[in-house]
Amino acid sequence: MSAPDSPTQIVNREMRDPARTPVRILCVEDNDLDFILIRKHLRDAGFSAPVEIQRARNIHEAVHLIGVADGGAPYDIALLDLSLPDSRGVETYRQMRTAAPRVAVAILSGNSDEELALNLVQNGAQDYLPKDSLTPDLLKRCIIYAMKRQHHRVEMEMLTDRLRRTTEELKTTQMQLIQAEKVESLGRLASSVAHEVKNPLGVIQMGLDFLEKRLPGIGDDVDSTLNLMHDAVTRADSVIHDMLDFSRSDERRVESCDLNDIAHCVVRMLKHEIDKRKITLRLELAEFALKTQCDSTGMEQVLINIVTNALQAMEQGKVLTIRTGRALAGAVRRDAGLREMNVMRAGDEAVVIEVQDQGPGIAEDILSRVFEPFFTTKPTGEGTGLGLSVCKRIVELHRGQLLVANVTEPRGLLVSIVLKSEPFTETAPKTREGPMATVAAPHAEAKAP
Amino acid sequence: MNKKRILVIDDDTGLNQMVKLNLEATGNYEVCIENDSTLSVETARRVRPDLILLDYIMPEMDGGDVTTSLHEDPFLRGIPIIMVTALLANREMSPDGTVNRGGQVMLAKPVKMENLLKCIEKHLLPAE
Repeated sequence: MSAPDSPTQIVNREMRDPARTPVRILCVEDNDLDFILIRKHLRDAGFSAPVEIQRARNIHEAVHLIGVADGGAPYDIALLDLSLPDSRGVETYRQMRTAAPRVAVAILSGNSDEELALNLVQNGAQDYLPKDSLTPDLLKRCIIYAMKRQHHRVEMEMLTDRLRRTTEELKTTQMQLIQAEKVESLGRLASSVAHEVKNPLGVIQMGLDFLEKRLPGIGDDVDSTLNLMHDAVTRADSVIHDMLDFSRSDERRVESCDLNDIAHCVVRMLKHEIDKRKITLRLELAEFALKTQCDSTGMEQVLINIVTNALQAMEQGKVLTIRTGRALAGAVRRDAGLREMNVMRAGDEAVVIEVQDQGPGIAEDILSRVFEPFFTTKPTGEGTGLGLSVCKRIVELHRGQLLVANVTEPRGLLVSIVLKSEPFTETAPKTREGPMATVAAPHAEAKAP
Repeated sequence: MNKKRILVIDDDTGLNQMVKLNLEATGNYEVCIENDSTLSVETARRVRPDLILLDYIMPEMDGGDVTTSLHEDPFLRGIPIIMVTALLANREMSPDGTVNRGGQVMLAKPVKMENLLKCIEKHLLPAE
């Protein structure tokens, strides 16, 4: 009773036509006598398909054969003796498994290592064959079942992997949807809120203008109260602007800009604030033009926002570094809200502005959330949680990337704006190299915004 | 010197009061108010303003509709109009607080009195 009555019940997909598809066996056995015996048993077993057997005398040779065979005709099964001249026991199995994760492995065990063989079967080997009591029938059954088990295992791994990927994609899509929904509802809200809030703000603003004319020089308290109220109106107004920016369509005037100019401009605008906070500014700007197609006002707005965040995160005496340069866009993790079409491809030529602070950084577990609308780490009343999400949106409208990362030595947060470069010309280096020239803050006499 | 007459068309009564208060406090202007944009043409014909301050977002007729109907009226089409809107952000404005969109002068809410006055003076037609 050798062959099963109906071979189709046990053959796997690769063996659909058992009469023609050969069973390819790699026998890893250093003992000549054992090998001859196994080969004889295989002949006697009466496989319905042709059997191709190849022998390796040690694990080195086996791994080599698998490497050679991998592209063409990989083995269906390896019959593996654990005690080889160049490897023993578990190590033999481990090497075989690493070299051929998809090939079925049946352990050929002697008296001494039967327990180990059993153990290996529980840990990934498909079967074990006691050499002492080997028969053609046993060998055949072992081979057929081991192949089938391995086939199932591989298929299950594939399915598990596919399931994992699908789940991941589903999760990403879901997060993107939530994000898109947030953005869209915010957009809808923004115009109506803007109108509803700006009118009362207008009343207060004009009321203040009126009172300032009517109550001049009444006393410091009145003046300072009026000033505070003016500031409050301006602050409320800027919150509304952030929301309006969000609801804005994508009409931005895009033209060829130099990122260095944008950095200079923002430094001019924030010079006063930087000095007031006693922060040292280190400018490391590229000495050549960093041309990109962008809306300079939008990009300035982004940079102002990021630099302001950095300033707020730092104690006095710390150093703020603004750096520009060329780089190649890296592969970016797909995160929520980042749509495929808006992403630069890895390897694209890019221009970069980096803002590095020496603040506390952001806890890794919330780092991925900093771009969510309304997410903020600032105390109530100090941030709407819209700033960075607006920035990200603007950068993405430029098909760029806005990246945040914690850095160490010194500790801080590094925010990078990565934009697609206009084609590199002249002889400027492709990537930043060596220490860049440290430039003093330019045009310090320019007025604050 | 004759006071210039300004017509304010806005559905926000509080804001209208403030504009009126401030403009009239300068001593140079007389301010009329219309809260209902559908009555814009009728009121403008009656008041004969030298300049119109027009809100954009209003129920029934928005600022765009009102502008169109004012321009269609032969007696009103020459009157300068300044649009005051919450749809624009102050940071999008030029330093004087205004912006020109398709030939239409616009101010962003909330308007600073200083900017409003400058803008009005600039767009008032020279006296006949």
